[in-house]
Amino acid sequence: MAIQDPVVIVGSGHSGVAVAAGLRTRGWGGGILLIDAENELPYERPPLSKELLKDGAPDESAVLRKEKFYADKGIGRLAGVTAESIDRNGRTVLLSNGTRQAYHRLVIATGTRARPLTVPGAGLAGVRSLRTRGDALELKQLLVPGARVAIIGAGYIGLEVAAAAAAKGCEVTVLEFQDRVMSRVTSAPVSRHFEQLHERHGVRFVFGAAVTSIDGGRRAERVTLADGTVLPADVVLAGIGVIPNQELAAGAGIDCRDGILVDGDGRTSDPAVYASGDVTRFTSPIDGASQRLECIQNALAQADCVAAHIAGQVAAEPEIPWFWTVQHGVRLQTAGVRHPEDQVIVRGEPSGGKFSVVYLRDGRLAAVDTIANLSDFRTAKRLIGHGAWIDPLLAADPGIPLAEAISGTPNHSDADLTAARS
Amino acid sequence: MSNTSMSNTAISNNTLTVVDREGATHDLEWEPDQSMMEALRDNDLPVLASCGGTASCATCHVFLEQEVFDTLEERSEDELELLVEAKGYRECGSRLSCQVGFSRDLNGATVTLAPEE
Ligand SMILES: Cc1cc2nc3c(=O)[nH]c(=O)nc-3n(C[C@H](O)[C@H](O)[C@H](O)COP(=O)(O)OP(=O)(O)OC[C@H]3O[C@@H](n4cnc5c(N)ncnc54)[C@H](O)[C@@H]3O)c2cc1C
Ligand code: FES
Repeated sequence: MAIQDPVVIVGSGHSGVAVAAGLRTRGWGGGILLIDAENELPYERPPLSKELLKDGAPDESAVLRKEKFYADKGIGRLAGVTAESIDRNGRTVLLSNGTRQAYHRLVIATGTRARPLTVPGAGLAGVRSLRTRGDALELKQLLVPGARVAIIGAGYIGLEVAAAAAAKGCEVTVLEFQDRVMSRVTSAPVSRHFEQLHERHGVRFVFGAAVTSIDGGRRAERVTLADGTVLPADVVLAGIGVIPNQELAAGAGIDCRDGILVDGDGRTSDPAVYASGDVTRFTSPIDGASQRLECIQNALAQADCVAAHIAGQVAAEPEIPWFWTVQHGVRLQTAGVRHPEDQVIVRGEPSGGKFSVVYLRDGRLAAVDTIANLSDFRTAKRLIGHGAWIDPLLAADPGIPLAEAISGTPNHSDADLTAARS
Repeated sequence: MSNTSMSNTAISNNTLTVVDREGATHDLEWEPDQSMMEALRDNDLPVLASCGGTASCATCHVFLEQEVFDTLEERSEDELELLVEAKGYRECGSRLSCQVGFSRDLNGATVTLAPEE
């Protein structure tokens, strides 16, 4: 039976493009159509808060695939067009250009949008968020020497922007509700290390800060906190998290719960509709937790599951979830998903600038943060994949390679040990 | 390989011979505006390149022949750290293909994909 209609992919970010490319790699011969609200060649997002903001960096940032790639692979693209609604019975999507596009399979890879700031004054000029290339280029214009920059939220994006702004000679203050940076994703030793790093570069922090309003005439001039503190600010960046773009699915009656619910193959509650990337929520195959991951690793791994399932093949073994950030030239790489209750073991001396923190859950390696220490990252990623049992004392000694810190526990065989070490 | 033809010809592609993980060979065109990783990935070879070419993931690890390897600049500290822990690491030969830029000297080179972790 010939398949008349294409696989339609809504969203051409990391995940959508990877679904399209993956279908072709897997030999899918039918039509493929990528639809995206943004009117440009799909691009890499990580550089937007890193390289792109730097002084002298070109405004062109890396694209996911060259234009020619799509043509060569017979992948159709509709840019600057939004998918508005789905007719699941008729298997069509209604597009913002007024047309209806029929699909054989639909893939929703619409990602997330920045959580909007809701305090009074959030609409003033100079108040920004950062999600798209357009956002990054506008922000770049505002980060001029002497500008007073208030960053709301000390997560990855807030901190990467803080570093870029400080390097450009801005006066930077980071306002964070919690008592330390990156509190959602890392432990206190790592938070403290990065706070000190930022402070050495002139960034100020206000912890326990609740922003109540932004004030000014047409433009932002001041930020007011709940305790009455008033800070002058010409630029305000909100880095307060994201919201999944799930409306398309929810509006069609597909199951969503802070993310489109998908199974291990990327299928939604409608068997003809898949979802992939930041917009999804799924059950972790490692610990059974319900999760929404916002990282490239997950965007690519889920894309492969979707492409494989549509092509009737078996997906590749996914990498362990991982993430990286670079602040003031210091690289933090995280593998695995940390829980706040995990046992925290610091490997090495943070003051030396190079160390790791390993997280043990019931004796097994669950996650790692490595600071300027890629070899531990690499090893840990492999050990996490094997669910390796770790001896806490050995792991705390940076002189002992992490792979040698595997402990003999009654629950695993010598074969497991050998596999984990190799 | 000629090194005198650059002046009067438009920049043309290099060719690469790639040995995949099953031992099969593929000949492909490497365009001047691509890193070696991009050439491999865009020609459907299984390099995941999950960090987009920023020397953070090592999923683009390849082996180069010694003569080719020797013509390249030194590996950066980040690249080396990622590589030494990689499966099958070769002191002379292992590279992250995202860190290998287009160069005429690499025309006709053979690239072997490193084993997956
Ligand atoms: C500034 C920044 C820095 C980051 N740095 C890192 C990093 O260092 N490492 C890392 O692992 N991850 C990083 N991330 C996260 C990473 O970018 C995401 O995990 C990844 O982009 C998710 O891919 P995706 O395809 O699910 O969504 P996206 O890449 O967000 O793509 C979704 C696309 O869908 C489009 N869209 C939405 N709704 C519709 C609709 N109805 N119709 C048509 N199109 C629609 C959007 O316009 C968008 O282009 C960063 C993100 C940002 C914003
Ligand atoms: S693509 Fe990640 S290290 Fe080369």
